[in-house]
Amino acid sequence: MNGAAVPGTAAPPRAAAVPRRWTGQRRFFIGAAAFAIAIAAWFLLARLGVVSGGRFPTPSDVWRSARQIAFEPGYAGGTLWQHVFHSTRLVLLGFAVAIGTGVPLGLLMGTSRRADLLIGPIFSMLRPIPPLAWIPLAILWLGLGDGAKIFLIWVSAFTPALINTYAGVRSVDPTLIEAARVHGAGPGRLVRDVLVPGSLPMIFTGLRLSLQTAWMTLVAAELVGAFTGLGKVLATASLDINPGMILYAMAWVGVMGALSTKLLARIENKVLPWLKH
Amino acid sequence: MAEALSVPVVAVGAAARRARARSREAWLLPALGVLGFFALWQAVAMSGWVPERYLPGPLTVARTIVELSTKPYSGATLWGHLSSSLVRFGTGFALAAAIGIPLGLLMGWYRWLDDVVSPFFEALRFIAPIAWVPFAGLWFGTGIGGPTLVIFSGAFPPCLINAYRGAKYVDRRLVEAARTLGAGGPRIVAEVLLPASLPAIVAGLRVSAGIGWQSLIGAELIVVASGVGYMMVQGQLNVLTPVVMAGMVAIGIVGVVIDVVLRWFENRIRKSWGR
Amino acid sequence: MGCIRFENVHRDFTRGGESFQALVDVNLEVADREFVAIVGPSGCGKTTLMRMVAGLEFPSAGRVTVDGHEITDAGPDRAVVFQAFALFPWKSVADNIGFGLKCKGLPQAQRSEVIARYIELMGLVGYENAFPHQLSGGMQQRVAIARSYALDPGVLLMDEPFGALDAQTRVVMQEELIRLARQNPRTVLFITHAVEEAVYLADRVVVMSRRPGRIKEIVDVGRVRRAEGWDRLDHIEEVMDTASFVHLRTHIWRLLREQQQVDAVAV
Repeated sequence: MNGAAVPGTAAPPRAAAVPRRWTGQRRFFIGAAAFAIAIAAWFLLARLGVVSGGRFPTPSDVWRSARQIAFEPGYAGGTLWQHVFHSTRLVLLGFAVAIGTGVPLGLLMGTSRRADLLIGPIFSMLRPIPPLAWIPLAILWLGLGDGAKIFLIWVSAFTPALINTYAGVRSVDPTLIEAARVHGAGPGRLVRDVLVPGSLPMIFTGLRLSLQTAWMTLVAAELVGAFTGLGKVLATASLDINPGMILYAMAWVGVMGALSTKLLARIENKVLPWLKH
Repeated sequence: MAEALSVPVVAVGAAARRARARSREAWLLPALGVLGFFALWQAVAMSGWVPERYLPGPLTVARTIVELSTKPYSGATLWGHLSSSLVRFGTGFALAAAIGIPLGLLMGWYRWLDDVVSPFFEALRFIAPIAWVPFAGLWFGTGIGGPTLVIFSGAFPPCLINAYRGAKYVDRRLVEAARTLGAGGPRIVAEVLLPASLPAIVAGLRVSAGIGWQSLIGAELIVVASGVGYMMVQGQLNVLTPVVMAGMVAIGIVGVVIDVVLRWFENRIRKSWGR
Repeated sequence: MGCIRFENVHRDFTRGGESFQALVDVNLEVADREFVAIVGPSGCGKTTLMRMVAGLEFPSAGRVTVDGHEITDAGPDRAVVFQAFALFPWKSVADNIGFGLKCKGLPQAQRSEVIARYIELMGLVGYENAFPHQLSGGMQQRVAIARSYALDPGVLLMDEPFGALDAQTRVVMQEELIRLARQNPRTVLFITHAVEEAVYLADRVVVMSRRPGRIKEIVDVGRVRRAEGWDRLDHIEEVMDTASFVHLRTHIWRLLREQQQVDAVAV
């Protein structure tokens, strides 16, 4: 199992006694076997009628839903591709605005003690309000359309971007800053050539969190009220009592979440070749 | 000589003045920032540039909070809604910890268990808690099961992962000592791995609580008939913005309190365990 | 061109509400192109002295001047080689060396020329596009030195530059530095706690006392070097074998040991 780094844990100090390749293969086979058994059981239970289409999806339910939503006219107002495309566009838009506002502000607060003291407390006050709690307000202000969704994505993605940029700037080795000053770097060059590259690793962590939060908030917002998107599909399937479609849409939410994380990791590796990985 | 003597006096004076200015800034600027924020908010609200219905001022919101504390709205007072929410949160969180921590420890110790459970865990992990809401509604209606499921799906992974890592990466020597003393698997898990991983577990609990509280809101926006999220939705449907904002404030404050409590707990553990 | 002067320099600092004296009554003059090493026990303030010349710290009393001008800020005329190398991890070797030139506004073509020159001088050919984390400690320090030299500074400040290197690499770097200093002489202020290193490299060795740091004694090593002809010898170990070298080294060790005995008595 590969857990994401969580605070309070440390890396293993010793190598495993069993040779690595054998361990890896064994893991894979046992895991695959367990998974296969579960799927087979699912099929079996569905066939036996233990699992009926009323509450719990059967494999054929899911298959049917997948086929329905794949082609025109789709489900809940569009095909899967249309929903996913629309949601992805919103996420990217909101994400871009969040980075465009969060990173510069984080840089400012990280470098200027005055800005930090002035703005920090305001931000600390607003931060405990979870992004999802902004949904009713966003609907009140901006309705059910794209504007509200982008606003919500901005709200949720702004915070991790800001915090991690701030932490990144403060974590830049002060000796490096001194070295830059010795070499005659002015404030502009200091920011561009030292502070930003130095904080990039942490900024990327912030971006990863931002992206995950953004997706989650979007799906939630679409669930509550929207015209289109994966969340809308979930909501409609819910009202239609269509467990097959619910499961299918859920799977896609998971896939989009995983994809965006992996994609960002790829980009990170490209942009930060100088990091010892 | 005279030049050398005059320099230190000037230097000390300037340095001291700088230090005083800095410590004055340390409380003055935050105070200005916060006050400025509220003043600006109040000014915009009063100016009518945005209609009062949609942007009530801070004073209005504060007054609404007080009102809601005594007069019920949508079925209960603010405190009534909060306790409904907290009960749900507590249930989901407790369930996540009760299953996640032991399972994580066992998976860290028994390799076969890890191999069997991991694929399912990895597959389900990426599904945002909020996506469980439709099934939550389908299976549990507006009962407590629905939100519990949603909170569980969010709170479970950190509990499991932290317990797992704590157990897997425990100091080998402690385990060897236990084995030479005759301890078998279950005893090792309970009496060596658990205490050794406690700091990691408690840290994970804090993350878990945060995610759980956030996911609760999502659940309450849709599948319930009480609770702070429900109250906010009702406020939104009736265009009562102060109610919505009051809910946001309440959620924020409770979230902070939960985090503070767990942080205190974490520090206590860290101190007594000496790590 | 690079004449350093410390006039009645004092340095206090406060920690946890209490005030400490780091440096007291330091008067020192470093002539142009002179190589001066400062040795002393930990906490004696030798690094602080260097940082004051660099413009990274300032005296509480007294003045520090370079060529008669009081120092107000850090700048490329007083290059610093840090103990921890301080290379920018996100820049290649070539870009690190060229950083100061970029700040000066030198156009690309000229920069490349200067960079290439120092790459060759410091034996870094082939590593132009490598990142710092791919290099060994010794290589990284070469890049750091190249980076500082590329600024063509009047003053070169070195803060225990070989402290993080293993013994063998250290010796190689010392020989390299001597070679460099002969080829491109400039004023050097070299901080170290390795007495042998100081005696081998410097024209004069300043011995500091324990905190509060004062100058205990200044040993004129250059005179002995010229008289004994150390430069005629090829390798460090030969120089360090001479009686004159051993004599100087022991003398400085004794000075430092006196500090420890003072502590022992006080305790």
